Amino acid sequence: MSHIHMEIEQLSFSYEKKVPVLKDISFFAGERESIGVIGANGVGKSTLLKLLVGLHLDFEGSIRIEEIPLEKKTLGKIREKIGYVFQDADSQLFMPNVFEDAAFAPRNYGLPEEEVNRRVEMALRAVHIEHLREKPIYKLSGGEKKLASIAVILTMLPDIILMDEPSIALDPRNRRNLIAILNQFDHLKIIASHDLDFIWDTCERTILMADGGIVCDGRTEDILRDEKLLEEHGLELPLSIYRNNHAGYAENANI
Amino acid sequence: MSNISRTIYEIQSLDALAKEKRWINELHPLVKICVTMLYIGMTVSFPKYCLGGLLAMAVYPVILFTVGELSFRAGLRRLRIVLPLVCVVGVFNPFFDREIYAYLGKVAVSGGVLSMVTLMLKGVFTVFASYLLIATTTVEKICYALRMLHLPKLFVTQLLLIYRYIGVLSEEAGRITRAYELRAPGQKGIHVKAWGTLVGQLLLRSMDRAEQIYESMCLRGYQGEFYYGDKIKMRGRDIVYLCIWTAALIALRCLPVTEKIGSLFM
Ligand SMILES: Nc1ncnc2c1ncn2[C@@H]1O[C@H](COP(=O)(O)OP(=O)(O)O)[C@@H](O)[C@H]1O
Ligand SMILES: [Mg+2]
Repeated sequence: MSHIHMEIEQLSFSYEKKVPVLKDISFFAGERESIGVIGANGVGKSTLLKLLVGLHLDFEGSIRIEEIPLEKKTLGKIREKIGYVFQDADSQLFMPNVFEDAAFAPRNYGLPEEEVNRRVEMALRAVHIEHLREKPIYKLSGGEKKLASIAVILTMLPDIILMDEPSIALDPRNRRNLIAILNQFDHLKIIASHDLDFIWDTCERTILMADGGIVCDGRTEDILRDEKLLEEHGLELPLSIYRNNHAGYAENANI
Repeated sequence: MSNISRTIYEIQSLDALAKEKRWINELHPLVKICVTMLYIGMTVSFPKYCLGGLLAMAVYPVILFTVGELSFRAGLRRLRIVLPLVCVVGVFNPFFDREIYAYLGKVAVSGGVLSMVTLMLKGVFTVFASYLLIATTTVEKICYALRMLHLPKLFVTQLLLIYRYIGVLSEEAGRITRAYELRAPGQKGIHVKAWGTLVGQLLLRSMDRAEQIYESMCLRGYQGEFYYGDKIKMRGRDIVYLCIWTAALIALRCLPVTEKIGSLFM
């Protein structure tokens, strides 16, 4: 993996004039970091991710990936480095079956079919769904779809992975499986979620957003333990911490 | 299963059917498109009283259904929406054209009846031919062949996307009607008053979804052209298939022999 990094400076954005959604966001994301972006619904987490991958270019401020500024000219080059996993896998997967969908990106990059095959194999193996290779998308379960939507971006060999609410609609087993898989990746990861337990298990660093801006940026361990801070911004302690902090919780729950 | 989920299922299973690995599916898509177009052209060009000759054209669908190991019943079932439409087209002919044209045993057959049957058969055959193409060829391959025929990139991509979006649209429709039905139990269908809002909802949601799919494509390097892995090579058997059908179809259409055979039954 290369020494990729991402630098965001004074980023502001609005969908409609005069209603700013993101306000003056700055942070630096270094190689191999895994960063959780948390915050209540509607604070602009998804919008931030979409900006980072260049889905809206009319922002103020700057986004640089390895010193290359994100703009129309550099869009193609930058997108090759970034894999964006949609919140809704149904919108991400559009080809008839898993193989075709995973082959879509490498084929677009003009790779020979042998290499396409090799990459698809690699990607499916990375998320443990080799057996689903020929399966039609509409026959996949929710958890399988989520894994497939990660596989289809891995075929681009991205340096950066962005994920929007990856744990949504996953049952506990699929959720654990996803956490284990993500923790094996050594990409630079940015995960937007309001599932704090998920962030606790996958990210070392957390950025807390409120009202379109960054409230606090630090070690996940510090931020997710700060009950008062979280409560002020409409979030609750991760369950695992809650259990520790409130001794007797388990006993009470058993009554 | 509700109507809509059945529609989704059928679109998707047609897709799955086209992806199977039977030899007829593996034929070069360009060859299949050419044969299909030739067949439709020949079929439609029969004069309106020429039932005998037209009957002989049944050879093509019959052979393809047999050789392609496709279920004829399944085909009919899928076409049940289109077929009545096709048949309605000719239904007024008997009233306009009452002149006696032929005798079937002792029963007089008027020109109108004859032309009605001819018209209906043309419709049925054409629909079958298109079904046979779609059931044995994936949309991607059809588009690939259309690009080989130098149809504009934009047009071909549109076609492909429309096909993909039909799935999206029907899925959204399914979700909306299910949500409606759950909150209006015991009601048959959807109340007329709710139609406007539901259709509006459907449109908005589908547009949203379509936009996301487009974004997903762009994020994965899509630049207006679909790539299909290896170039599909024209092989010996493709040429043979094309030649045999071209010769057979032209013979069926042009040689008076077939009309004679047909008229034996009249
Ligand atoms: N396409 C859009 N057009 C206009 N406003 C939008 C659009 N998408 C999101 N918003 C608004 O931007 C704000 C942030 O949304 P979003 O980034 O989705 O938040 P989050 O992901 O944190 O829940 C919300 O107030 C939302 O209503
Ligand atoms: Mg969101």
